[in-house]
Amino acid sequence: MTSQIATLLAVLLFPGGLFALVLGLALKGADRRVAARLQGRVGPPLIQPFFDLIKLGFKRTMVPTEASETVFLAAPLVGSVAMLISAALIPIAGVYAPDTELGNLLVLLYLLAVPGICLMLAGSASGSPYGAIGFSREMALMLAYEGPIVLIVAAVGMRTGMAEGHWVTFSLTEIVRYQQVHGWFLFDPIMWPAVAAFAFFYPANLGIVPFDIPEAETEVLEGPLLEYSGPALGLFKVMSALKAVVVLGLGIALFLPLPFTGPLAFVGWLVEIVVLMLVGVTALRVSAGRMRIDQAFVFFLKWPLLLAIASVAAVALAAGGAS
Amino acid sequence: MNFLTLFARNLWHGPYTDVFPFGPATTPEHLRARITFDPKQCEGCRLCEKVCPAGAIRFTRTPGGMTFDCWHATCVFCGTCEFYCPTKAVKQSNDWHLAHEQGEKYAQVEHGLIPNQICVECGAKALDTSPAVSHIKPPLSETEVSELRARCPKCRNKYLRSRKTS
Amino acid sequence: MTFINKLKDFAVKSPWLYRINGGSCNGCDVELATTACIPRYDVERLGCQYCGSPRHADIVLITGPLTRRVLDAARRVYDEIPDPKVTVAVGVCPISGGIFRESYAVCAPIDQYFPVDVNVPGCPPRPQAIIEGVAKAIAIWRQRL
Ligand code: SF4
Ligand code: SF4
Ligand code: SF4
Repeated sequence: MTSQIATLLAVLLFPGGLFALVLGLALKGADRRVAARLQGRVGPPLIQPFFDLIKLGFKRTMVPTEASETVFLAAPLVGSVAMLISAALIPIAGVYAPDTELGNLLVLLYLLAVPGICLMLAGSASGSPYGAIGFSREMALMLAYEGPIVLIVAAVGMRTGMAEGHWVTFSLTEIVRYQQVHGWFLFDPIMWPAVAAFAFFYPANLGIVPFDIPEAETEVLEGPLLEYSGPALGLFKVMSALKAVVVLGLGIALFLPLPFTGPLAFVGWLVEIVVLMLVGVTALRVSAGRMRIDQAFVFFLKWPLLLAIASVAAVALAAGGAS
Repeated sequence: MNFLTLFARNLWHGPYTDVFPFGPATTPEHLRARITFDPKQCEGCRLCEKVCPAGAIRFTRTPGGMTFDCWHATCVFCGTCEFYCPTKAVKQSNDWHLAHEQGEKYAQVEHGLIPNQICVECGAKALDTSPAVSHIKPPLSETEVSELRARCPKCRNKYLRSRKTS
Repeated sequence: MTFINKLKDFAVKSPWLYRINGGSCNGCDVELATTACIPRYDVERLGCQYCGSPRHADIVLITGPLTRRVLDAARRVYDEIPDPKVTVAVGVCPISGGIFRESYAVCAPIDQYFPVDVNVPGCPPRPQAIIEGVAKAIAIWRQRL
């Protein structure tokens, strides 16, 4: 009973839920502010995403007549809930370890695919041709990046699992604990292909330039989000804010968890995630141009996939050589 | 790697943004914006009305004289009126604060009145326009100009003819 | 009630802009882009954001004299924008027709077809004048919310 309450709290309050939402929105605000600064502008206030959300709460949600209403309205809800749960699955080194009953890395992988699927559903349910284009683009992009992320996770899991004596582990807690003892995977040459592949994966998953092809507002008018307005659109904003926390948190857990405990670990984690957001997302977003969907598709089938396969092979070979 | 130096410079230097609308705005001195009109200098030639491509300027005869109206909501800031105006009575200022709410749409007008006067010589009613003297040789003195101004067009002609012969 | 009012005060800090090109010569559209892209003017300070979809918009910026061809499309797009919305006419074209006034091909002024709230005259208006107009529109939007 108490563990269930603890799990509920984890989903609704501390690493998931409210905390992740506030952090995600703050990250988005910092992103916009710093992007403006990099461009020599002042930019919006830091808490602009909160204002946006409040504003969207006051607007009307319009459902197009051609849309399938249930799917249209359920899609953002399902996406946000999936992200809420996955935020509770991300361990914060030295502060929080997710309950094993809630799920492991595999569950997280499935949940990470949900927002993309929700966007696709939203696009196709909206009955707008732009939504349909967004749908097909999102699908192509997902097909391209889902392969590498599975292999990356497998490589990290194998690396930890083999060192711990079993074949492969899918427990993020274990991966984090291993790195706390043996040092970051980021500095482990065998893991470099995986790190590189992850560096290609997260912009695509977060939908930022150069891989924001499905939601390109200059080409397909924000694609799947075109028909959304008011609170429903707000839910999508919530979803993408949570996603930023989840994906960056996953990156931290996989490659660079801090070896501290207590408050220091928490502050360190916050610093890590903010730095990752500003360097990895903002600087990239501001300096890059958008790829075409076919370019991105071919690119993902070439480099990240190759790197991910190489990382699995490298881990397997290293383990074979060691034993 | 040009963009990286650009980033570094922007991060270091800070934003280049104007404080407006939270403070005073910088305006170039020669910005072409709101039209101003000075009825004292106008010759009443109505050239500006004729050349205005947007039809923003309109002169109307009223019992009190002749009114000048320039509707800012249709003026395209081309500056043609100022270019052709012989006395620069109509001028472009650099005041661009023209945004207004819908209710004030038809109040966005530069209005001027060239009043009627009584000719000092013949007593006829005529417009108190500035006399066209720029091309007259030898140039008129101040008092001559004011004397000329106080007359109606017919008497002005007479005045100038008498000045030539004397 | 005061709490709701407080929330509304926060809400107006996030006006999203949408522009409808009613057959404009593009001069005004370039100035609109300028307000967002040129560091000197930076409309994002007011929380504004140009959005691609009419459904996301709060403040509609209409440019151009509304040519006969575009009239129907513009009206349909305008109806897609959820309430409460504020309409701003940018440039002299939509306000009076400007240089195209009394042409057989244009339907200016647009206040015959749209409930315009704020006018920003100029051909094209200075970016700062547009920002001024947007600030006026925000004040109107606060009352509508
Ligand atoms: S303003 Fe100038 S151009 Fe126009 S009527 Fe007067 S003098 Fe002539
Ligand atoms: S600036 Fe051009 S449009 Fe404006 S009043 Fe003068 S001539 Fe007419
Ligand atoms: S107001 Fe002038 S710049 Fe703007 S659309 Fe009309 S003609 Fe073009």
